[in-house]
Amino acid sequence: MPKKRLSKDDPYFVDNPKRVKAVQKQMAEHGIDVYLGSRLRTVSWIADVFCPWRTYVVIPPEGLPTVVTFVIDAARACDESWLDEEHVIGYGPMGGQDQVALLSMLMKPYLKGGKGVIGMETGMGNYLPEGHLTLFEFVMLKAAMPKATFKNAHDIIDRLSLIKDEGTINRFREASRQVDVGHREVLAAIKNGGFQKMTETEIAGLAAYAMRKAGSEWEWSFTGGNEIASGYRTGLAAGACTPASRRKLKAGDPLMVDLHAMFKLGLGDHSHNYFLGKATKRQMWHAKNFVDLMKQVLITYRAGITPTKLADEMLAFAEERGFQDYLVPGFEHGIGMMGDEWRIGLNNGPFQYWTNPDHVYRKNEMLICAVQYACPEENIGFRYENPILIKERNCEAMSRFPLSVNIV
Amino acid sequence: MPEKRFKYLSKEWADEVARRCKKTLTPEKMKNITSSMITIYNKCPDGKSRAVYYKLVKGVVETVSIVEGKLPQAEFSITSDYEVFAKISRAELKARAALMSGKMVLKGNLVKALTLSPTVDRLNEVIATIPTEY
Repeated sequence: MPKKRLSKDDPYFVDNPKRVKAVQKQMAEHGIDVYLGSRLRTVSWIADVFCPWRTYVVIPPEGLPTVVTFVIDAARACDESWLDEEHVIGYGPMGGQDQVALLSMLMKPYLKGGKGVIGMETGMGNYLPEGHLTLFEFVMLKAAMPKATFKNAHDIIDRLSLIKDEGTINRFREASRQVDVGHREVLAAIKNGGFQKMTETEIAGLAAYAMRKAGSEWEWSFTGGNEIASGYRTGLAAGACTPASRRKLKAGDPLMVDLHAMFKLGLGDHSHNYFLGKATKRQMWHAKNFVDLMKQVLITYRAGITPTKLADEMLAFAEERGFQDYLVPGFEHGIGMMGDEWRIGLNNGPFQYWTNPDHVYRKNEMLICAVQYACPEENIGFRYENPILIKERNCEAMSRFPLSVNIV
Repeated sequence: MPEKRFKYLSKEWADEVARRCKKTLTPEKMKNITSSMITIYNKCPDGKSRAVYYKLVKGVVETVSIVEGKLPQAEFSITSDYEVFAKISRAELKARAALMSGKMVLKGNLVKALTLSPTVDRLNEVIATIPTEY
């Protein structure tokens, strides 16, 4: 029996057994006898626990799933998951306890006469910790279950996890609140010349400390946790990834602060931009472009719009204002519980495993509104990121730190 | 008078294992655990397979029995060749090393098995003291 579950009255309640049953219904419809999840997003969504080591989840046609994770972390994962110790087990380098032995032991009972269909998760991703089944894992599992048929089935999870439930949405809201705490701490530290002698890594660290004090579990992004860029690094061509460096902050520099917090696998992700000490008229022109654009973007997101339609409108706005050359032409990336990042929607676009530009947003989808403004020749750039909830007529931007480019 | 030697995997040997365990291993030493384990010996000298079933109740080794044919349910099962188990019983090979090298196959919850491995080591140390004819 499941041991720990949040009360239905808890704002962060997620009905995990309901998710499992929904997957099992889809498995039956797709002729899948047992599902082998290996992607981090699948593990998070099913087990509701952060699993940083290579982890699998075996979903039978009925009953509880079993999480198989590295033995050094199995007891902790079990302690934090809604699943009991019979359903969170560890693998290790021992006879009968390696990944292939355990997974095949768990799946074989559902393969009559060894035959049957195993749903697996394979594909391609730009996101490093995606967790698709590796070729070696596939070859070894196929050797252990030679009569079984393996079928790529990740669309089942992708479809079911696309529309967010209230508990998940609230987890994102709380993670975003924690990010705002980090931003307030950064502002307090750098204002009135406080930035002098500070480095990008210090900014990342003091924000992390503030967010942890507020309850954040992790600066979750694999891009180096909190991303901080100053000076020329804010305007790297077509760039939107800046792990904090040891660069010292200097008066006259732009500063971009992109913070990440995690709360119960819900993810906060918000960027704010500054000028340190002073700003030229030209710098302020860039800043106004960016802020005005973001205002437009945020009032445009709603159910029914597509990434292409939104991009067309925003690029037209940028062209009209004469800053289209500085805009990286993308306005969002996907988001879900930890491990679900980058691609939006299903794998049904013109380029495999990239966002379908004609994906039609629906109510209660979430994404990261993400815009990068970069002018390398002037060593200036700005970034906006914020988890947004798609609503019927508009969107909810979850981080509330005021949109502006401040001179501090 | 020469010391009595027990035939490995005989009923007398199993009884001696139980007797020595009860005498030597206190419930505290055995962490008061309640569990069961079956060790399955393949390729015995007579070509057969047989098993030893161990049952611990609150840290007391309650049962040590030789099983042929249908195996009882146990929380853990360890399968290997007779010769590998014999080496462990003679203290020539550590159980952990046999598991880590894939010479033994463990079935059961690995987290719990690792927690219990020191107590199983104590059990094996007692078995190693029994004059045994392999």
